[in-house]
Parts: sequence; C-alpha cells; structure tokens
Amino acid sequence: MIGRLAFLWPEIALFAATCVVMVMGLSRSFSVRKASAWVCGIGLIVAAFLAATTTPGAPGAPAPDAAHGQLILPWMVPFAKSMICLVALLLLPLLAGTVDRAEEARIASSRAGFNPLRSNRAEFYSFFLFSITGLLLVASADNLIWLFLALELTSLPTYIMVAISSSRHRSQEAAVKYFFLGAMGAAIFLYGFALLYGAYGTTNMNAIAALMRGGTLSTLAMAGLMLSLLGLCFKIAAVPMHFYTADVYQGASAGVAAMLAFVPKTAGFLAILLMVGMVGWNYGPSGASLPDSLRLLLWVIAALTMTVGNVLAILQSSAKRTLAYSSIAHSGYMLVGVIAGPGDGSFTQNGISAVLFYLLAYGVTNVGTFAALACVERPSADGSEPRELDSFDDLRGLCRTHPAAGWMMVICSLSLLGLPPLLGFFGKLPLFTSGVAAGEIPLVIVLGLNSAIAAFYYLRLMAYPLLEEPGVRSGELVANPFLARRLAGILSAGGVISLAVFANAIMKQTTVAGKYPAAAVASTKAEPSLTAAEQR
Amino acid sequence: MTNLLSNFCLASAAPGAATLSPILLGPSEAQLILALPIIGLLFCTLCAIFRVKSKAPAFFTVACLAGAFALVVRLYLNKTGTPVITSGFEWFFLEWGDGKGQRLVANFSLYLDSLTILWMLFVTGLATLIALYASEYMAGDLGTGYCRFFAAFNLFVFSMSCLVMGDNLLLLFLGWEGVGLCSYLLIGYFYKKPSAVEAAKKAFIMNRIGDLGLLMGIGLTFVHFGSIEYRDIFHAAQPYIEAAKAGKYNEIPFLVQLIPVLLAIGAFGKSAQIPLYVWLPDAMEGPTPVSALIHAATMVTAGVYLVARMYPLFLLSEYALPLVAWVGALTALLAATIGMAQFDIKRIMAYSTVSQLGYMFAGLGGLSSTGAAFHVVTHAFFKALLFLACGAIMHGFAGQLDLRKLSGIRRLKGWGIVSFGMLVGCLNLSGFPFTSGFFSKDMLIGSEFLTPGMAPIGWILLFTAGLTAYYTFRVFFRVIVGPLHYEPGDELHSAHDEHGHGGENHNEHAHVQDDHQHHDHGHGGHFHPHAPGWAINTVLLTLSVLSLSASALNFLHLPNQPHIEGGIVPELVMESSAAYESPYARHEAHEGTGDGGHEGPDAHGTPSYVPTAIALDDPHAHAGTFLGWNPHAVMFYVSGAVGFIGIFVAFVLHYVGRTTAATAKADALLPMLGPIPGWAQHKWYVDEFYKYSIYWPLIILANLCNLFDKLIIDGIVRLFGAIPRWIGNTIRPTQSGELHGYAAGMAAGVAVLLFIVFILTLR
Repeated sequence: MIGRLAFLWPEIALFAATCVVMVMGLSRSFSVRKASAWVCGIGLIVAAFLAATTTPGAPGAPAPDAAHGQLILPWMVPFAKSMICLVALLLLPLLAGTVDRAEEARIASSRAGFNPLRSNRAEFYSFFLFSITGLLLVASADNLIWLFLALELTSLPTYIMVAISSSRHRSQEAAVKYFFLGAMGAAIFLYGFALLYGAYGTTNMNAIAALMRGGTLSTLAMAGLMLSLLGLCFKIAAVPMHFYTADVYQGASAGVAAMLAFVPKTAGFLAILLMVGMVGWNYGPSGASLPDSLRLLLWVIAALTMTVGNVLAILQSSAKRTLAYSSIAHSGYMLVGVIAGPGDGSFTQNGISAVLFYLLAYGVTNVGTFAALACVERPSADGSEPRELDSFDDLRGLCRTHPAAGWMMVICSLSLLGLPPLLGFFGKLPLFTSGVAAGEIPLVIVLGLNSAIAAFYYLRLMAYPLLEEPGVRSGELVANPFLARRLAGILSAGGVISLAVFANAIMKQTTVAGKYPAAAVASTKAEPSLTAAEQR
Repeated sequence: MTNLLSNFCLASAAPGAATLSPILLGPSEAQLILALPIIGLLFCTLCAIFRVKSKAPAFFTVACLAGAFALVVRLYLNKTGTPVITSGFEWFFLEWGDGKGQRLVANFSLYLDSLTILWMLFVTGLATLIALYASEYMAGDLGTGYCRFFAAFNLFVFSMSCLVMGDNLLLLFLGWEGVGLCSYLLIGYFYKKPSAVEAAKKAFIMNRIGDLGLLMGIGLTFVHFGSIEYRDIFHAAQPYIEAAKAGKYNEIPFLVQLIPVLLAIGAFGKSAQIPLYVWLPDAMEGPTPVSALIHAATMVTAGVYLVARMYPLFLLSEYALPLVAWVGALTALLAATIGMAQFDIKRIMAYSTVSQLGYMFAGLGGLSSTGAAFHVVTHAFFKALLFLACGAIMHGFAGQLDLRKLSGIRRLKGWGIVSFGMLVGCLNLSGFPFTSGFFSKDMLIGSEFLTPGMAPIGWILLFTAGLTAYYTFRVFFRVIVGPLHYEPGDELHSAHDEHGHGGENHNEHAHVQDDHQHHDHGHGGHFHPHAPGWAINTVLLTLSVLSLSASALNFLHLPNQPHIEGGIVPELVMESSAAYESPYARHEAHEGTGDGGHEGPDAHGTPSYVPTAIALDDPHAHAGTFLGWNPHAVMFYVSGAVGFIGIFVAFVLHYVGRTTAATAKADALLPMLGPIPGWAQHKWYVDEFYKYSIYWPLIILANLCNLFDKLIIDGIVRLFGAIPRWIGNTIRPTQSGELHGYAAGMAAGVAVLLFIVFILTLR
C-alpha cells in the first residue's frame, strides 16, 4: 500500500501549499496576503513538476506495476495530473480580485482596519487548491470510496467559491442551488457505488473489474454502474443532470465560472473513464465496445447532451449562459470518446486519449472566453460592485474598445468551434476519428450536426467583438484593474495558437496516457490487434 | 503535341529520390533560418504594442534577415550535393492503420537541396537589402504603421522560407497561404485608400482560385502516393517515371496525370499567369519595397519553385508541361503588349514582371528547368533593382509615376545612383548582351527551339524579347534622360507632408534647379523633389553591382561537377529534384561539337553534362534547330540583335528630338495603328472581360440562387432551423431557475433514462 504514495506526491505538495495559503491569507500585512496567490502558483508548479516526473508511468519514472496498487488506467495519471495543474495555473490569475476587492480598497484608504472575519482571501485560494487536490486524487483513485471522497473534495469547495465570488444575492442563490443539486447528484452516484459493492462485495475497483471480466455482470451491478454514471453526469453537466449549469455559471463571477467549467468536468470525466474502464470495451459483436445497456445509456446521454446544450445556447442573450450551455455541449462531445474506447491504441482510434486531449484543449480555451468577460466591467452607479460583461450587446466592438479582451474572445471562441488551425480542431478531430473507428457512425453524425449548430453561437461570440460597431453603451465599459486576468486570457489565447503548433507532442502524450492495459489482459473476446497495439 | 513528351527521356530525379535512401540529417542550424524572421516578427509586434516611434523595427529586421542570409550562405558552402532533411519537431503525425495512405505525416522538417538553397539565397539576400531600403522609404509612417509594415515583412520572409524549405507539401501550403496573407496585408498597407483595399482583395481572391487547384493537387498526391513528403513522393513516383521514359503514358493512371495540372493551376495563381494574372499589376498599390520583394523578386516565383520542385511529377503527364509552356509564352506576350501602352512606370514594371514570369514558365514547360531557375535568379536582382529605382522616384516626386510628367531626372543632383540603377536594370531586362538577363533569357529561348514542337513558343518569346527591350527603354528614355521636367504627384497635398519628408537624411532644398521652374507645375510650382538618402542609395548601388556581376554566374562553375551550359545556377538545379536534362541537349551537344565553330559557352571545351538515364531509341526524337542552326549557339546573336532593335526603336521614338515630357515622336505614329494602342492601354479589356464574363454572371447566378434560397431552401431550412429553436423553446421552461423543478427534472431524467435502457436491452 505504501507504493500508492508514489502517486500522491503532487497532492501532498498541493496540500502543503494549501496550509500555507490558509495562514498567509489572514496576515495583517497586505503584501503577505497578496503573496498567497503566488504561493498557490508555486504549489501548482511544483505539483505539475512532481506529477510529470515522479508519478509511475511518467517518462523517467518507473512503469506502474502491482507494487503501486493496480489502477484501471495507470498510464493516465501523470498526464492527467500535470495537465490539471497547468490548467489550474492558467485559472489562477483569472481568479485575481474575485474576493475582497471592496474590502481591500477600504483597508487601503484606511477607512477600515484588517478584519480577518471580513476577509475571504484565505478561504478562497485554499478552497481553490483543495478542489484541485481533490481533482488530482480522482485521477489516481483505485477504490470506490476513495473515488467518492475525492469527487466530493473536488466539489465541496466550489460551492463556497461560488457563494463568495461576488457580493450579489445572485451568486448566493446560485451556490445554494449548486449545493443542493450537487448533493443530489452525489447521492445518486453514491447509491450506484453501494449497489456495486452489494454486487461484488468489494470496493476495490480492480477487484471489481476482475470479477466483471470473469463473466458476472449481473443486473444489480449494471444498475449500480448506470446510477454511478448518471450521478457523475452532474459533475460533467450532462443531460439529465445539467439543469443547474446556466444558473450557476451566470451567478458566479466569470473566473469561478471558468473554474466550474473545467474542474468538476474533468473530475467527472476521469471518474467516468475509470468506471467505464472497469467494465471494459470487450463486448458487442466485434468485441470492442461497451456492454449494450451501458453503451445505449451513454449514447443517449451523449446525443441528448450535445443537442440540448447547443440548442439552448442558441437562444441565450447572455454570453455567460451561452458559454454554460456550450460547456454542456462539450461534455456531450467528449462522451463520444468514452463510448469509442481505446480502439487499437493509436491516437486517431483511441477515444480515451481523445477525451484527455479534449479536456486539455477545452480547459485552455475556456479560460480565454471567460477571461474576456472578466477583463472588462461596467462600473455601477451606486458604488456597489462593478458588473462583469455578460450580455452580447456588451461584446459589440470589443476588439476596438478593449483589444486584448476582444481578441481573446475571438480566438478562443473560434477554437471552441473547432476551426482548423486552432487547438479546438485538434481536440475534435480524434473524437470524430475514434467514433468512426469504433463504428459509432450515427453518433458521429449527431456530433457533426451539433458542431454545425454550435457554429451559430460561436460565430456570434466571434462576430460581436470583431465585426460589429461598438454599441451605444460601450463607452461605459472600463478595463478591470486586475491585470492578472488579462494575463490569463492572453496566455489562454496564446496557448490556443501555440499548442496547436505543437499538437503532435501532446497527441503523443495522450496516446501514452490513453493506454488501456486491461485490453491486453482482457478476456479472449479481445481482438488480436489489441495486443499488437500494446506491443507498439 | 500529344505524343511529344513520349519521346523524352527522364533523368532520374533527385539523387536521394531514386532509392529511398536513409535520411541524411541536415545541419540543425537551418532551423534558425525560420526562427530569425519569427524573432523579428515578435520584436516588431512588441514595438507596435509599445508604440515605438523610431527605426528600431527596421534595423532589427535587417539584422535578423542578414543573419538568416548568413546562415543560408553557410548552408551553401557546406552543401554536399545530396538532399538532406533537417528534422524539426513533429507537426502532424496521424495514422489510422499500417497500410499505404493511412498515415499522414507532415513534420516541421526542412528539405535542403540545391534548389532550396538557391531560392533561399536570393530570398533572404534580397529581403535583407529591401528591408534596409524600406527603413528609409517607409520613414514617413514611423510609429505603429512602420511596425506593422516590418512585422508583415518578417512574416513574409518566414512564410516564404517555409514554402521553399519545407520537406512536405503541407508545409509548402502553409507557406503558400502565409505569403498570400502577407501579400494581402502589404498591398492593403494604405488601408484608407480604396484602390489599395480593392487591389488587396483582388490579389487575395485571385490567389484563392489558384490555391484551390494547389490544394486539390496536394490532396490527390496524398490519395495516390500515400504521402505528402517529397522524399516519399519522388520514391513512389519512380515506377511511373520508368513508364514515362518508355513513353507508356497509358500505364500512368489518369489521377496521377491530373496532379501536375492541378499543381500548375496553383502555380499560375501565385505567379500571375493567364488567366489569373490580373491581380499582379493592381498589387502595385502596395508600398514599393513590397512590390520589389514580394511582387517581383520572390513570392511570385513561388509558382516556378513549385513546378521545379515537383518536376518529376510534371514529367508524368503528357499535357502538363506543354500547358505550362503555352500559358507562360502567351502570358509573356500579352503582358508585354500591355506594358508597352502603359504610362505609369511602376505598372510597366509590373507587367514586365508578369511577362518575365511567363518566360520562366515557358522555360519550365520547354524542358529547361535549369534555364527557368537561372532566369528566376537574374530576374530577382534586376527587377528588384528596377522597382526600387521606381520607388525612389515615386518617393522623391510625391508619388508621381506618370512617364509623361517626368523627364530627364538624371540631371537633378543626387539622382545619379537612381539613374544608374535604372540603366542597369533596363539593360538587364531588355537582354542587352553580356548582362545577366541576356544569358538567362537566351538559355530559355534556345531550349524552346531545341525541343521539338516548342518552336512556336520560341518565336513568341523572341518577339516578346523585342517588345520588352522597347518598353523598358521607353521608360528609360522618357524618365531618366531627355530634357528636365517634373511635376509632383498627388501625394503632395495629402500625404506628402508626413510621407515624404519623414526621413532625416533628406536635404531637399539642395537639389532644386530654379531655371527649370518655368515648366508649368500643376501644383503651384513650389515642389522640390528630394533625392534619396543613404539607405536607398546603398541598396540601389548594391543591387546594380549585383545585377551587373550576376552575369558572372554564367561563367562560374561548381567544383567537382560536370560543367553545364549556363554556369553555376543550372548546375545547382541539376543537383536537385528539378534535375532534368533534355535529351536534345545532348544531341545538340554532339552536333555542336561536330560543327565546332560556335562561340557558345558550351564551346569552352568542357564536357557537356551527360545524364545517366537517357535512351534515345526513338528515331523521331531529333533536336529542333533554329532555322538550321544550333539554337543555343546562335541565340546569343539573334536575341542580342532583337534587343538592340527594341532599344533602337525606343531611342528613336522616345529620345530623339523630344523636347517635352508629355509627348514624343511615338505619339505621332500611334494613329497609324488604329485603336490597338488604346486597347493595349486598357489592358486588352481583360478586366472588363472578366467582369462581364465571370463577375456579372456570378452575381446574377448568386442573385438567382439567393432568390431560390430565400423562397425554397429557406423555407426548408427554417423548418429545420425551427426544430432546434422549437426544441429549445420547449425545453426552456425546464430552466425555470427553481430548485425544486431542477431536482424533479434530474430525478425524472434518471428514471426515464434507466427505464429506456432497461426496456431496450432486456428484450
């Protein structure tokens, strides 16, 4: 069991950083308080470094073996963890100034002294790190209880972050909704886990997987799996658990919304990959797809999620809500990769790699779109908190009035659309090819149609800043004083372009990360080519 | 004609292509050639962001490009004669199986052979010089405009380097589109001028048409050969080359024969050939350094490069090379006739560029890839020189380019170098004996006569050479020499103040000659042309010297190589994938030694290059002759004479007895030709023809489609478009914002989904 520790160095580093941040954020000195964000950043960098070097499966580190405990997708861990830390590093500057802005201003003008009870900074940043720690733990889960705790560690801090992300009632309302519905989602997948335990008498995922492949995929176990997946749909904001998304994203500040679009979604997808990987893609007539009922369930969820997300996004007049629905649609796209499975292991056929790549692409791109909204604000007349950009009208002519914000919106929404030279294209491509390779032609057609529908609102997000004249009320908009937010957006837009140039290197990483070892050991139903792919 | 090429024998392509030899790794510092312009681009962008108002971007650019040039020279000195590949990072590597055509590899790797190095030598060399020139020329726009100009300039050099150095067609396409984009950005540099914007759009759209051909060609290449890497393509094409050698074109699939034709369409677009040439003359709306670099010396030769690079594939089709040759020849003639009738000197140069590009294509089509490449190199120097000289005039005379309003500027103080540069450029362009243009043009025309069936093209080119000499010296005799007279252009009042006098080196008042002020000046009589400063003069002088000394290329030879007629440039080409020795050249060489008397360069006693794989079995495959003589040998005299005639006609018509700037003897002769000069002046109404034959029908078709679309399709689409909206509106109430509703929805959703799944799978 001590071998499991080898997977946990990044989490330990992050936890240490969290403790430091918690204390520093309550310091009387402004500069120390301010430095807490930097400590977060350093913690994330260290965690990313540890994940990329020491985790079994990383280049240079030992290959994952039985000594480290059996994982369902052991090769995924180093990539997933370093990817998560890097995207979190991108999110961090976007969160600058989310809390305590008015309070710090009061202290700076010496209208008030520092009062630890009124300051939220320590909680905010440490909760952010807690959430990321939970996310990292999800990646290396080997036990259903571990998985449940890790998922909750990811989610619980986000409820509070939503609540304190602005002083408006709306964000508190959003947080309450998010919390109750989240609890319900958690209850559903916990129920599913319980049924699985009931069916197999163990919570060890590897043991369950072995039993499942032994041929006993009972109705009870199937019900447990389905409930778990449906519960996890809450994390990835998929139908039918998607209802909260738009309200919560709109209620939260843009930075926190960007975080919500990445962190719980990634947790959900990693968990889904682990759960589905437990069953394996060894069923069906060709011996390379999921069991019928599971496949059907995911198929329906994927198709519905894309469609619902996209058609509702079309109707919105609020950019944040549009992005929220687009986030739903992206979850639907990624489910295609989950259904497709590992294929023969090459990048174009491996749905697992496709999902991992897409998570990275979506994480990077998504920061830019929300950053564009967070960089510009409308000062309120009564001295209360300024409002972030939200309606499409505010986006008009942004490239001219606030070039940085406008261009990051243009570049990132084109990438979300999947326009060829940009990162989003390289994300979508393997989803299509793996879907085709797995024979899911109808689903790929749905995916294609949905990409076309999505063009409608992504082009709107692109055209409003770039092609429209500035609106009459655009003059009121001012740049947000926190330059870090702009930095986040610029890094994101730059990443969208530059990572596309180096997409091949990332593809290689995800191909390794998407290796599905069970395919080789799997039952005789597996195609012979799978072993060949494994040797390669 | 159809069976013409079946007589030809094909030399094996590049040495590395004959067998798929192990990759020879090239020097990794070649990657720096790509990196340097990117560094320049980043620097200029930063300057633009921080609103730097100095010449720093220009000099930084010059430094970067000079560095790139130095690296290319190093590559040249270290080259081995075998193509090497420098691996950069992997860019595209997708595979979906192990079979042929199931793997798409396009790396950021460089294919370095002699052809690449040859192209890069003049691309980076000229770019450095022209950037230096532009540092002064663009000085009126100091600030963000200046940064924008140099940023695009750097991006251009980067794209051009990608195009030339890439080891696969996708990288070539990236560069191809990149130079197209830069061309668009730089033509439209004065984006507040409607004509510049129009010209930029025209260039962009015309190029898109060609690019479609190129893209289809690349697609077909991948479909058929299963790769887009040159090395693999040449290797995979080897069996077809064997078939083509034996004249068995029917063994080559139609699709393979289609590839070169499609690629040629792409080349016609980029290199401004019929029918896509109309954008290039309009592209002169851009700043002159841009015209010189992009639209005369480098970018427009990308088409020639493409054909030369893919020459092995062009040999696989019976029709591709004759098509290229005829299009080139007709373009050369058409553009020359238009150039004769223009009055705007920059436009004349533009048409001469189109015309000279036509020569290059004719050369490629006439089985003289060596001659074409030679002409590309010499043309790059003298045409850049001519454009820069025109630019200096335009710069000094407030945008005046009308040769009827400028005369005798050689007499102005400070214009000596410009006049000298103009003379050198004109001599080269008109093919005056022993200039570099003379050698390269002769080589081209000679090959046309040598190749059976191509003689008409040879005659067209010869005739065009005369026209070229005439219109070139028409400019010289009108603008440079003769009585002094000048009128400022229309930039005097509008842009002149900020555009003209920005440079610190101008001392304009020193050059006024008051005794000539009595000429009626349209703009108030107080105009003082300002002579070019040190940067422009340095560049002009350098280019003049280079253009003059370029004729030495004809006599230089590569060490350790069999010598080839035409000197070092053809020898370089012979080491590359464009290597091709027309069987008739050898034939001719035998006959030539038999005659023994001619003073051609191949009579220097050096053995002619004898390619390895030539089988002249076909008794009909006799080399053509020029009226019974060896074409290469007599072409020196013939084309020299033709050039003299052209210059003499220009001398008589435009210099002798001319007292004013506006009129010359030629005007008296014009009525004798009837309406033809007017037609030529209106560019043979090609633009109008396109407008009525393509533009308007398309507009009408578009409107019809629009109507159809509105009435019928829209109805259907609305129906389908309404579905998402209807679904959206139906499910929208579920987004009520109420917690209970959401919770109920979730629970119901879970229940329904589970129910569906159980019903469907527990059949």
